[in-house]
Amino acid sequence: MPQNRKKLIDLFIGHISEAVSHEILIRSTENKEIASHYKKELENLLDRSKKYREKINPKNSSLPEKDIDYIKTKIIIKVKTELKKRISLGYKNIDLGLIEILVDKFLKEAKIS
Amino acid sequence: MDQIYIPKNRQGLEPGTYVKIIPIEEKTIERSYFYNIKELEPIKLEIVNKIFSIIKNLTKYNNIIIAGSLLDKGFNFKDIDVLLINEEKINEKNVEKILESRLKIPIHLIHMTQKELKKALMIDPIWRIMLNKSISYKRIPPLPKTNLNYKYLDAQMIKSNLLIENSECLTGNEKYKLTRNLIAIYLFVKQKHLSKENIEREIEEKLNIESEELKNNIIDEKFIKKYKKFYKKFEKEIIKNAAKQEKAN
Repeated sequence: MPQNRKKLIDLFIGHISEAVSHEILIRSTENKEIASHYKKELENLLDRSKKYREKINPKNSSLPEKDIDYIKTKIIIKVKTELKKRISLGYKNIDLGLIEILVDKFLKEAKIS
Repeated sequence: MDQIYIPKNRQGLEPGTYVKIIPIEEKTIERSYFYNIKELEPIKLEIVNKIFSIIKNLTKYNNIIIAGSLLDKGFNFKDIDVLLINEEKINEKNVEKILESRLKIPIHLIHMTQKELKKALMIDPIWRIMLNKSISYKRIPPLPKTNLNYKYLDAQMIKSNLLIENSECLTGNEKYKLTRNLIAIYLFVKQKHLSKENIEREIEEKLNIESEELKNNIIDEKFIKKYKKFYKKFEKEIIKNAAKQEKAN
């Protein structure tokens, strides 16, 4: 994949990964209602990822299966690493089962899958 | 000679305007509360008053608070943050839509109960920053004591990790916002006063960069290294304390 395209994909992966990690961590606290009132930053994060996605290829044409798998796997690994680090140190209520659900949700929103 | 005082932040009556002084019938004057706003462009004040008046006629309220970049100098705001405090359920999207259709400006309306706002001010620095510079319809009660919930702060801080991995592709404003988020959490944890000025001073002190340089994307490798070092060290502290809190619960 050309360098520029690879960079865009990495940027997209970075943005979605932070959004998923943030969402799972917030859900593990008792304060998710408070966080839900100020979603502006999270929305900005997702909006930016959509912009990168549109630069990867036109949003109405789907990405090659190979790219979709690469993106999804990379995000899952990235988020899992971040969350497992925290679980090993004593974090409770982290639902790793949510990773795939949220990744699918955000990828769908960004018209990746 | 007698003097007449008029509010510094006002609509109309520019210096040098000729006026006629006539007595009016006594009536209650509604005056908004300004927090850390030295001056505001009259047209913005007009917008603020319009927002108050639309909401007052639309729904019940305990308070209406205007915050965000509208209150900064100049006209670089993208939308207006409106915080509506009300104990009853409201159709947030509908109120937002009405405000937008009447003002033709994007509105970000947030509805909260008084209890929710109090809790938000206790655990989340973003709300303290918002209220620090704001205009409210009624007086805002004193800020409650902070309650450090490290796992919650960790979740909010993780967004700032983006700057480490994607610095070359982010715009200056994006970099500024991610840095501001990180430093706001840092000041909150260190129990320091949260204001835009304090955050910008701390950015300069801890990361050796002026906010304007950051906003204009004038950064170098040294800044990224410093940012990464600061982020990683502080992240360690946050995670350690969060884990400790989790064990104690």
